[in-house]
Amino acid sequence: MNPKLVTLSVNHRTHHVALNPNTTLLSALRDLGYTDVKSGCEKGDCGACTVLVNGIAVNACLQLAWLAEGQDILTVAGLGSSDQPHPLQTAFADFGAAQCGFCTPGMIMSAKALLDERPQPTEAEMRKALSGNLCRCTGYARIFEAIEHAAKQLNVDSRG
Amino acid sequence: MSYQILGNDYFRKDGIGKVTGREVYASDVTLPRMWHARVLRSPHAHARIKSIDARAAQELGAVVLTYADVPHLKYNERIVSIPPHLYRDRTVLADKARHVGEAVAAVAAPTEQLAEKALRALQVEWEILPHYTDPLAAQRADAEPIHDSYILNGQEIPVENNVAVTRVVQVGDIEEGFAQADHIFEREFVTSRIYHAQMETKSCVCDPAPDGSITVYPTTQSIHNVRQLLGEIFSIPLHKVNVKRVAIGGTFGSSIQMNSIIPICVALALKAKRPVKLVSTREEDMYDHVRYQTKLKLKIGVTREGKITAGHMQALADIGGHNIQAYALLSVLAGWTASLYNYPNLKFEGKAVYTNKTPSCALQGFGNPQATFAAESLMDEIATELDWDPIEFKLKNYVGLGGTFWGQGPSVQSIVRSDGVPQLLHDGAQKIGWRARPKPGTQTGRYRHGIGMARGFHTSGAGAPKPGEVIDYSGAFIKINEDGSVDIVHAMMDHGGGTLEAIAKIVAEELGVPIERVGISPADTLTTVYDVVTHATRGVYAGGGAAHKAAVKVKQQIFDYASRILGLQADSLMIEPDYELMQGVIYCPNFPERRITLGALAKQLQVNSWGTLAAVESLRQVNCPPAYVTYFIDLTVDTETGQVTTNRAAIGSDCGTVVNPAMAIGQLEGGLSKGMGYALVEDNQWDAQTGQLTSKGFWIDGKTPAISEAPFVENIITHFANTYEPSGPFGAKGIGEAATNPCAAAYANALYNALDIRFTELPITAEKILSALAAQDERASRASDYLENKVVAVMQAAE
Repeated sequence: MNPKLVTLSVNHRTHHVALNPNTTLLSALRDLGYTDVKSGCEKGDCGACTVLVNGIAVNACLQLAWLAEGQDILTVAGLGSSDQPHPLQTAFADFGAAQCGFCTPGMIMSAKALLDERPQPTEAEMRKALSGNLCRCTGYARIFEAIEHAAKQLNVDSRG
Repeated sequence: MSYQILGNDYFRKDGIGKVTGREVYASDVTLPRMWHARVLRSPHAHARIKSIDARAAQELGAVVLTYADVPHLKYNERIVSIPPHLYRDRTVLADKARHVGEAVAAVAAPTEQLAEKALRALQVEWEILPHYTDPLAAQRADAEPIHDSYILNGQEIPVENNVAVTRVVQVGDIEEGFAQADHIFEREFVTSRIYHAQMETKSCVCDPAPDGSITVYPTTQSIHNVRQLLGEIFSIPLHKVNVKRVAIGGTFGSSIQMNSIIPICVALALKAKRPVKLVSTREEDMYDHVRYQTKLKLKIGVTREGKITAGHMQALADIGGHNIQAYALLSVLAGWTASLYNYPNLKFEGKAVYTNKTPSCALQGFGNPQATFAAESLMDEIATELDWDPIEFKLKNYVGLGGTFWGQGPSVQSIVRSDGVPQLLHDGAQKIGWRARPKPGTQTGRYRHGIGMARGFHTSGAGAPKPGEVIDYSGAFIKINEDGSVDIVHAMMDHGGGTLEAIAKIVAEELGVPIERVGISPADTLTTVYDVVTHATRGVYAGGGAAHKAAVKVKQQIFDYASRILGLQADSLMIEPDYELMQGVIYCPNFPERRITLGALAKQLQVNSWGTLAAVESLRQVNCPPAYVTYFIDLTVDTETGQVTTNRAAIGSDCGTVVNPAMAIGQLEGGLSKGMGYALVEDNQWDAQTGQLTSKGFWIDGKTPAISEAPFVENIITHFANTYEPSGPFGAKGIGEAATNPCAAAYANALYNALDIRFTELPITAEKILSALAAQDERASRASDYLENKVVAVMQAAE
């Protein structure tokens, strides 16, 4: 089958890109330079490639890029920058939730989807929301802590 | 001891890059004109390649490599051992497949898609050979040889019965030792073949230049060893081989050796005359490296007074299709055993056997999780049988202060000069409630509670007073800039645990400079001096030791030059960080007005043409101090499902001076997660018929622990010993690998405490727990039947 021109909206920027029907969203994003989206398994096992599509956390390796046309895609690079990091990013750095850092972008995006839905998540909600994201370095303890801290921070900010 | 900088937590220098996704790993490197590579891997566990027809692939425009196109030099990928101990059995592409997933051909093409298409167009004619997934079957006299020979020290050595290497180590005379014993205990322990499960698959980008030089961006724990090997394999002078340090997405030992895909990527780039990127798929990665699987038979003799008289370990290691470091493995299995407890008489007999499975290598602890599981399980049993508190029994027999510690097998030994074991055991016992633990065999009901303890260590590096069988060398270049900031040029890799942060702190402390003004330079092999590899828990102790040595030299230069400018004796000067000026200030307490900032001094030296504040130093430590660790696990077993829940863990670390407190705690928490996985769930199974992984490359089938079962922060108690290692930089020694070594034995001992059952085979899965409980029930009912019958018989006799 031939490629077609697809319009992808990533981190509020529009890209027009010719894509084959079997290209995954993960490949399309990385080829566009979004190397913050990590490829860990390409099978949906590890969650390293988690991005938000219309606010929902998805494994970019399991979604075909054609199907993401017209949807809002958010990656960790679009969540915040080194000058203005998102509270989740600050908390992951401050609480030791990132060691080698390879799972971190996906982990933060899964946590972002959770906090958007449940601003004060319970332990069970955290375990469920992040159950598809593997981390081999931290043992997850600091990841819980970072999410709890970021949740508090976001709730304070939203009360303003 | 109090410090300005050490022991404080700061924002880690690489933190913001990691959380914003801007950190660059090998697979993120993209270069102009770059092509993409794919590797053809054997679907057969053991097969000769009769022919490969590459015409269709070439017609698609791909560059193709087979065994015929690559250098035939046999190499050993882990050049940490000294050259006489390198077992060379591998080539860039294989002439015959020795395990499923072995690389036999490779292609490069302008896109990944075309590369995949070209790969599928390759036609291979195979001659299938008998294969062995079991080391006992592989040793049969009529077994097909997996390797005919290997190269050792320039000699071709034939392989017999698929035995890769054997090693015997003896101290004293065990026959005499066992004769002195009042009690002898013996058990066989079996450990599993777990996967490293690092997040990043092995990847490489190679950029060849028209002058014949190459620049390589690999996944590695050692840029210099990759450089030396590539130079040797491809006959390129080393000044034309530049290996760049990029971030590594977890490794746990799987990139100590030059990963198998690196020379394949280089060969493709040289042939294609353009940059080539090669990224392993997860399935390929799972067929590339695993932990050594071992069978350990351990026998210990003890006197009535509880003193060990002799130990005997027989080890069988299943090494898979290649010998990456089996000689070193046998050496350290002997060494860890000899260093856990004082055996006046000890014999170690080890054998490493080739099988047609994924090649094994180090995985966090290199033989130590295996040896410690055996020793700590058996010591717990001996203590219980002889009515000792296991803590007291272990304290009576362990190798501590003044003892001899084998940091890397028999050739790397030094005297223990710091020992926090008594403190750690005391504190851990108190924190977990050791004295209130249940008595084995007293619980009934569905849920049973248990507390178990195990202790252990890892070495800090492989230094020793005399040259050993392994290289342990690090170097650092430090220079002072014109604003008083500092550059550290160091080839060491940081796996994410904070090794480079620790090195920056050690330099900042020595030089009296704010940590915010100490930079870690990007590193490559052209601009750094040699560092062997980040392994053996040597980062802070050995890598930090080298940086400290260079900093001491720079500090002397600072005082010498400053003394000429300030008109004071060099020995009277001091330097301290000034946080308003954000640099170090050199001064004399007696003459506070005579002071100069470090930046002003550096600039003045240029104006005066006096010199540069810079030094390069290299170091092999003359000790290998043990980084002791203690584990206390509190768990609950559901006897209906076999599920084990970790209620609490108390993990104690003796890492000497704690350089990075938060990151040190992070190492212990991560160690618990990996140790729990090893103890209870993780495994890789091979299908004996096909030689394939039964998981078919699906990662989660290997049961890497997920967040679903992770304990919360408040249930993980971490504590540190108050020790100072005299040979370490500012009293520091290692932590990383130690963090996991005793964990599996602590779980096994806690399960014994809960269930009155000894488990000797890892992982201790829910299925194994249920079948052991069923066997226990059967024994109990048989015993009660017997008693009942006896009572009836007695009553009948009375009538």
